[in-house]
Amino acid sequence: MRGADYIIKRTVFAIVTVFVAITLNFVLFRLLPGSAVADLARVPRATPELKAALTKEFGLDKPLLVQYVLYLRQLTHLNMGVSFANQQPVWNNLRTALGNTIPMVTVGTAFAIVMGIFSGVFSAWRRGTVLDQISTNSAIAFYAVPTQWLGLMLIILFAGLLPSYGMTSIYLVHPGFWQHTKDVIVHMLLPSLTLALTLYGEYTLIVRSAMLETLGEDYVLTARAKGLTAWDIVRKHAFRNAMLPTVTLVALSLGYIVAGAILIETVFSWPGIGRAVYDSVLNNDYPMLQGAFLILTLSVVFFNFVADLLYFKLDPRITE
Amino acid sequence: MSPQLAVRDLHVWFDLPHGGELHAVQGVSFDLEGGDRMGLVGESGCGKTTVILALMGLLPPSASVAGSVLLDGEDILAGGEDSVRPHRWVDTAMVFQGAMNALNPVKTVGAQIVEPMELHGFASGEEAERRAGELLEMVGIDAEAAARYPHEFSGGMRQRAAIAMALACEPRILFADEPTTALDVMVQAQILELLVGLTRELGLTLFLVTHDLPVVAQVCERAAVMYAGEIVESGPLDELFHEPRHPYTRLLFAATPDLYGEEQVLSIPGVPPRLDMDIVGCPFRERCDSAFDRCVAERPVLQDVGADHRAACHLNERTVPV
Amino acid sequence: MSVALREPGLAEVPKRTPRGWLWQLIRERPSAAVGAALLGIFVLIALLAPWLEPYGVREQVGPVFAPPSPQHWLGLDDGGVDMVSLLIEGTRVSLTVGFAAALVATVIGGSIGILAGYFGGPTDMALMRFTDYFLVIPDVPLMIVVAAIWGPSLFHIIVVIGILLWTGTARIVRAQVKSIRERAYVKRARSLGAGHTRLIARHVLPQVAPLLIANVVLTIAVAIFDETALAFLGLGDPTNVSWGTIIEHAFLRTAVSRGAWWAIVPPGICVALVIMACYLLGQAIEDALNPRLKVSYLSVKGFRLRPLVGRGPSAL
Repeated sequence: MRGADYIIKRTVFAIVTVFVAITLNFVLFRLLPGSAVADLARVPRATPELKAALTKEFGLDKPLLVQYVLYLRQLTHLNMGVSFANQQPVWNNLRTALGNTIPMVTVGTAFAIVMGIFSGVFSAWRRGTVLDQISTNSAIAFYAVPTQWLGLMLIILFAGLLPSYGMTSIYLVHPGFWQHTKDVIVHMLLPSLTLALTLYGEYTLIVRSAMLETLGEDYVLTARAKGLTAWDIVRKHAFRNAMLPTVTLVALSLGYIVAGAILIETVFSWPGIGRAVYDSVLNNDYPMLQGAFLILTLSVVFFNFVADLLYFKLDPRITE
Repeated sequence: MSPQLAVRDLHVWFDLPHGGELHAVQGVSFDLEGGDRMGLVGESGCGKTTVILALMGLLPPSASVAGSVLLDGEDILAGGEDSVRPHRWVDTAMVFQGAMNALNPVKTVGAQIVEPMELHGFASGEEAERRAGELLEMVGIDAEAAARYPHEFSGGMRQRAAIAMALACEPRILFADEPTTALDVMVQAQILELLVGLTRELGLTLFLVTHDLPVVAQVCERAAVMYAGEIVESGPLDELFHEPRHPYTRLLFAATPDLYGEEQVLSIPGVPPRLDMDIVGCPFRERCDSAFDRCVAERPVLQDVGADHRAACHLNERTVPV
Repeated sequence: MSVALREPGLAEVPKRTPRGWLWQLIRERPSAAVGAALLGIFVLIALLAPWLEPYGVREQVGPVFAPPSPQHWLGLDDGGVDMVSLLIEGTRVSLTVGFAAALVATVIGGSIGILAGYFGGPTDMALMRFTDYFLVIPDVPLMIVVAAIWGPSLFHIIVVIGILLWTGTARIVRAQVKSIRERAYVKRARSLGAGHTRLIARHVLPQVAPLLIANVVLTIAVAIFDETALAFLGLGDPTNVSWGTIIEHAFLRTAVSRGAWWAIVPPGICVALVIMACYLLGQAIEDALNPRLKVSYLSVKGFRLRPLVGRGPSAL
């Protein structure tokens, strides 16, 4: 099979990175100054049984290496300790939070990618014209604006028109399925829009740059020589090729998406994993912080891997 | 009989970034009859590629064009892009320098040959694919290779594929811009043989642009020599070689080793004139070994010096031979 | 990391980089000029901060969230402090953090890149594997964790941001150094017995310097963004006023619902302006080093036609 080597290499890389992330997570929370951090068992208002159980599971009285191994073992059971804030298992909290984040981030990112592709392609094609300049400069502006500030601006702009707090309305008691869904969607509009605008700037610039590179390639001249119209060339030749570096660069922006999600969820009090990070920092809820960090890192590693596979599918030149 | 392609007084200017213009092609005229194999030779930068691009209307927006290009009597440049596009690939097709990049790396070779067929309504679907296979076989590539990607081909094979692609819509004129420059010598000879064979078999007209004289010698019957944007001599190839009527032609052919020769013995010292300023007198004057006083002030005009042999040199008006 | 990143574009620096190339660049490209000018203005403000601030940054001069007035052009914040003074003070801190963190990142990344590119082989592989893992791990969450555990202070913030931003620099520098190493004059110097340090200092560094500068500038943008983010999440230095902390205070004290836009809008605009300036300048430098042919085979307009006057080459 073509590129079996490549796929294996990328898979191994992903797995190793996962290990590095997990180990980093462990190390950070055990070795950095702040001894309170190391103790997963210091759950406020915990029963003695809970404390004992945690101490045993994570080997908190044992040497560091043993703790590491136990940490890994507990991870496979999805046991990341107990949240200091609500005495619930960290994984349960995170699972709920993740479920809330995913729709919001997906919608925002999808919009950003589509809008970015459109404006990037358009700007590259109409390079040098006024429209290109407007498009490019506004992309730079959106890229430069701090995400949390953009969120606040949107709140000010849409004050009264769209909700800016939370995922659901507190006035809806026992809503039906559709009512609830509509409620969530309405609450998701501003956060997703903020994310979309934040990312759109960067994506426009990426796509534009990739398209410009592509439009200077000889096969574009060949396509013109064959009699294809400009639109045909963009659609059938340039676009496909420009998607290659675009996929890579979008993959690189995953960290940016995570940062954006954290800031946006804080601004809008969206009960997702980003806000979990914020809350856990506020409450010194170290098990939650540790868990959230791990989940976020693993997500990024995963999507990077997906991007590698996608790139492989798009570029027939990859064989090694 | 009116020629298949008649180029009359073709001029091309390019806008320069800091103002001013580069007069890249300065009044080029020639005729191509059906089935001709003609070469356009000159140093790099003399404007040869620009001529071909102009003939296919592929010049960039920074270019201005004057003159006429008559395909079967119809001026295809008269309406700009719109009048020249319908002829692309159907009447005139092109093989580029360095097929490495002329082929799109993410599409199969077969798909790229089929593309113009479907675009111009020549064939579609299975029939187009079958024809693509036939074309590949014609240039010496297995039909099954159509499913492969360009990077899987060697340089020579890619150029063959590019030729096959150029023939997709059965054009009548094939332009070739340095088709063998990036290839090694053995492969070069094969490709050139292929081109000659194809033009004979298919009754194609071949117009080949190159700086490499042995290439012209192998393929063309007639040639035009270009210098500083204009044709300084044109005629049958053996006359150009044995009886050159322009010092540049003579020096050019002398500077080239014969096909089986060793190192280059002569090179023409000096550099071509700048094209962003008006040229006074003969453009070759500074590098010419036979320049005289008339050459300084008066620019020579292309004149007949024999049957189908023309040259632009004041020496031809003296009784003393070159 | 991913395949497409394997060969970052290589910069072509002329062998003897003319001393004033930066000035020349600014003169030639409007985007560079705009970027440099904006950055310059902010740097000036930061340097002259104590003399420019009309009021003290801890001085309550009026009611909380007082609207703009002739004495206080941008109103007052959640503590009754003059916004203009806060912004000016914030310039100082934000820029300091940005510049310092970018410096740390560039020094680390540059060193790793140079070592990896220059020595090649197993050193290269090891360093690059290391870099690759860090490239994938998302920056901001890691910064949050470290800042949360380590405690907020300007120094910590600078180090945290700096330690995480070096990866991009390392890759770019490495590619450039690799190509430099293969150049004839470097090989010649090697064969003449020049030591590694000397070679690096004399031949590699000058060639890499412009690229590093472009990279520093672009990193400053990211560093400021990150500092603003950290501050917003409560991890900034509480004893110092930065644009990030201004936004954070405004948010926490519900400036939005009180309609006190003056407490929120200006700091964000300042951050955006500086990041934009850095982006424009850094990108312009990178573009200048990497001259992509301005050719596009596709364009909106086509070639133009001219009427023919006269005949022969001297026509027109």
